[in-house]
Amino acid sequence: MSALTVDTPVSTATVATAGHRGRGPRRTKERLPWGSPLVYFIALVVIALMLAPVLYIIIGGFRSNSQITVDPAGWPDPWNVQNYLNVLTGPQFWRQVLNSIIAAGATTAGVVALGLMASYVIARYPFRGRGALYALFAAGLMFPITVAITPLYIVIRDLGLMNSLAGIILPQIAFALPTTIIILVPFLRAIPDEIQEAAFIDGCSRLGFFWRMVLPLSVPGVITVGILAFIGSWNSYLLPLFILNNEASFTLPLGVQAFSSQYSVDTAKVLAFTSLSMLPALLFFSLFERRIVGGLTGAVKG
Amino acid sequence: MTGVRLNEEDRNHMKANKILTGAVLLVAGTLGLSACSGGSGGTNADGKVEMTLWQNSTTGPGQQFWKDAIAAFEKENPNVTITMQSVQNEDMDGKLQTALNAGDAPDIFLQRGGGKLAAMVQAGQLMDLTDKIGDTAKSEISDGSFKAETYQDKVWAMPLAVLPSGFWYSSDLFTKAGITTPPTTITDLESAVGKLKSAGVAPIALGAKDAWPAAHWYYNFALRECSAQTIEKTGDTKDFSDGCWLKAAEDLNDFAATQPFNDGFLTTSAQQGAGSSAGLVANHQAAMELMGAWDPGVIASLTPDEKPLPDLAWFPFPELSGGQGEPGSMMGGVDGYSCSVKAPKECADFLNFIASADQQKAYYAAFSAPPVNKTAQAAVKEPYLQEVLAAYNKAPFVSQWLDTVLGQNVGNALNVAVVDLLAGKSNPQQMIQSVTDAAKKG
Amino acid sequence: MSLRETSVAVTDPETDLAQHGGGGVTPPPPTPRRRPRGLGWAGRFEIALLVGPALIMFLGFVIFPVAMAAYYGFFRWQGYGTPTDFVGLQNYVTILTDPTFLEALGHNGFIVIASIVLQGPVAVLLALLLNRRMRGQSLIRVLIFVPYVIAEVVVGTGFGLMLQTQGAVNGLLENWGLGALAHDWISDPAIAIWTLMAILTWKYVGFAVILFLAGLQGIPEELYEAAALDGAGYWQTHWRITLPLLAPTLRIWAFLSIIGALQLFDLVYIIWGQYVASTAGTSTMATYMVVNGRNAGNFGFGNAVAVVIFVISLVVALIYQRFVLRRDTAGAITEGKKTR
Repeated sequence: MSALTVDTPVSTATVATAGHRGRGPRRTKERLPWGSPLVYFIALVVIALMLAPVLYIIIGGFRSNSQITVDPAGWPDPWNVQNYLNVLTGPQFWRQVLNSIIAAGATTAGVVALGLMASYVIARYPFRGRGALYALFAAGLMFPITVAITPLYIVIRDLGLMNSLAGIILPQIAFALPTTIIILVPFLRAIPDEIQEAAFIDGCSRLGFFWRMVLPLSVPGVITVGILAFIGSWNSYLLPLFILNNEASFTLPLGVQAFSSQYSVDTAKVLAFTSLSMLPALLFFSLFERRIVGGLTGAVKG
Repeated sequence: MTGVRLNEEDRNHMKANKILTGAVLLVAGTLGLSACSGGSGGTNADGKVEMTLWQNSTTGPGQQFWKDAIAAFEKENPNVTITMQSVQNEDMDGKLQTALNAGDAPDIFLQRGGGKLAAMVQAGQLMDLTDKIGDTAKSEISDGSFKAETYQDKVWAMPLAVLPSGFWYSSDLFTKAGITTPPTTITDLESAVGKLKSAGVAPIALGAKDAWPAAHWYYNFALRECSAQTIEKTGDTKDFSDGCWLKAAEDLNDFAATQPFNDGFLTTSAQQGAGSSAGLVANHQAAMELMGAWDPGVIASLTPDEKPLPDLAWFPFPELSGGQGEPGSMMGGVDGYSCSVKAPKECADFLNFIASADQQKAYYAAFSAPPVNKTAQAAVKEPYLQEVLAAYNKAPFVSQWLDTVLGQNVGNALNVAVVDLLAGKSNPQQMIQSVTDAAKKG
Repeated sequence: MSLRETSVAVTDPETDLAQHGGGGVTPPPPTPRRRPRGLGWAGRFEIALLVGPALIMFLGFVIFPVAMAAYYGFFRWQGYGTPTDFVGLQNYVTILTDPTFLEALGHNGFIVIASIVLQGPVAVLLALLLNRRMRGQSLIRVLIFVPYVIAEVVVGTGFGLMLQTQGAVNGLLENWGLGALAHDWISDPAIAIWTLMAILTWKYVGFAVILFLAGLQGIPEELYEAAALDGAGYWQTHWRITLPLLAPTLRIWAFLSIIGALQLFDLVYIIWGQYVASTAGTSTMATYMVVNGRNAGNFGFGNAVAVVIFVISLVVALIYQRFVLRRDTAGAITEGKKTR
């Protein structure tokens, strides 16, 4: 599925930035021509459809509740920043952001570390049961958290991890492993054997090879996987819903739901909270956009 | 090979990453574990007692009542701290169940009673309050109210409010439609619905999105059709084979066929926002709704000026001819609060405190709901609440909400089955069948 | 099957990815390929060290709950203490004969198919359209991808508010004089499932477009040039060249889409709530599980539903792997060397 050359980071970036078909030499600093108006028009329509709901949520937060009741689809008049200010100065929002950051960060770190090590073994160690091991992890895709939640809740409860972030971090790592391994194994397998041979001839051990050469080479794949894990953890709702009962430990999605229930009387306030909770994800995405899109490109590129 | 030169920097980078990873995990673990120590409180070494309270009022006066009650109790008992969590009513049962299962329950929490109370007692989750109820509480609160919180001859919760079901309506809208007296029979109700429709007003607001408001209709029809013994027996056996249950379903089906409910009632919630059924009544967009006696408070929070609705009035569920239920019977719950079995003894003190006359008066003022404390009841001013109390006190039979009586499994299934019936997705026989089937799942 | 002589196949190359139990484990055939001799104890230790943590986490939090779910599914259990009321296969019989569950299953099936049918062609066309070097290309790709990044809870809350009978969508239609088109988007059983599909398409089509764009990158320009030389028209070119070469990407995407559709929970639960979902015709197996399991206090039953969902997903995945994905992955995993 994925054929990588040694200078993978370079070629992925090439594809992501210049976006040309096929594999040509990297062309830097080329002014891209304008596309046809039809293309732009269609793109505009599509983007308008994509962004309209998001904009509605954001702008809705600037209205007051009575405005919304009177005219659900109108423009703010006057612009009311009180709702946003209330959310931003209240303790709930920031605590939830912090909880989400901790959970997502720890999950990502764990997934990357464990997934990379396991993928390396499956990809490059010859041993019996390798296929079985891979199949075991792949089968995990069939048992997503949604489905596993009831027994998983019991496991977490018996481990005494209810209401703690560890109670959601550990399962999230475990559940992100199948996707990670499925993405990383072909990645790692594609590292040419010649390099490995050369390393062994030079007296490098398997572990040393892993540490010194595989890690740097697998950075693009790791980034893709890391970002997927981060987004997955950040947006996860069901697991925190079952595990975190104490308001103080809520993550952001849970907070959105709780807030919207609690203040359901006040639609505008809920919209403000909701739009603020979209922001971290959007910010994160815009920072890493190139990597995300490029990483997906790299993973799929034939 | 370019790859080799990248190695050194990347290797250090990777090393740094690993260290960072380890650090983050360590921090996360520590934070996580420390958060773990939350949950039910206890007595610390220095004699300080910490308790948690879960209540279902998320707006204005209701929340304020609890904050004030806690502050007053803490003032009298300086070594006690109580943390309050407001849980939306619709989420309360699920969260409470999860917390009880996890051994992580709050110390003081809302108790619905009935089968749900029974399940908690059977699982050993509640503190036995029989000997802990104070003398003042015993004398000022009627036995009937305590009965609702009794199981196997022991008392498991302190009752706070009696909340029977009835119609809350806008007398202005009724007058406008030419209805001079509140309906006393179902036929009267149907003609009232007709008049309201002609006057261009949505006759009845229904919050079917939350399922239980729709089910209240069925409970009341069943109350009229079934005898008290049948109801109590089915509560134990979960057996709906008595013909009165089916008849009640048919009655409801016939009534619903006259299309008395507001548009989009299937996605109207009961209490959340101006678009909820309570909100519709509060904003004169619907003339009435069938609801428990907490409604005045909820309606008051949803009016444009957030004050009680000035023309609010009440009438009990109309009578039905040919039913086996005794006329004047009422369907209604008693809201109470229980202590978790792991709670410190100060929990019972707190319950006695909030059942006292002054606190009950404050409760009534905040929630516009009838308190159980008889001294406090004397302070009730609103005519509609006085009518509720009068009807309640002379009712020959009061049943708890049927979903509470039947317990969470069958109760939930009943609620959903009623919604399906009203949505036209099933007929009365299917409705009874699905409730019977539900017993198999739990 | 292209068996490479240089392969280090430890499993039968015919073995499928998801086949359990390592059924095809055979000792590696002697090959002329150079590789480090044997594995030795150091090697085994390394394997244990590297795979160990992942395996432990996976077994502990994924496999063990599967097993426990299967165990609890044989009981009627309220969740307190340990289960004591053994009922054998009764829960499973109840589930498979419960019309509500079968309805939910039907909904899932509909969503699976509708997702592919709705999103696939649209995404392919969009990808073709956008697959040209032009200014603003990056920006367009980013903006299309935005809905995917936003949490389902947030999407659900936002859309839930917009689609109410008194919400923004109907309000907008009225403002534009199209009040007659205003509907009960959420609870009308005739419309609700399409509302759900619209929201799902909105959220996930961007992801599909990006994947397909990536896949299109891998099609050499020379092929298009040759086709142009031969006088092939636009649609002909794409039908004969693009689609077949994009097929592997399409298959992967379809797989992800199918699995996602079978697991759908968050959006439906947030917008429709636990009760309305079944009346409106948008219940899924997962919402059925939560409503009849946890919310009703039937933990034994809920676990049984979880096992049923698992088995269904597994069967679908296995069938898909064996018949559809086989060609793409036969080379990827079971062989030791990749072509460039």
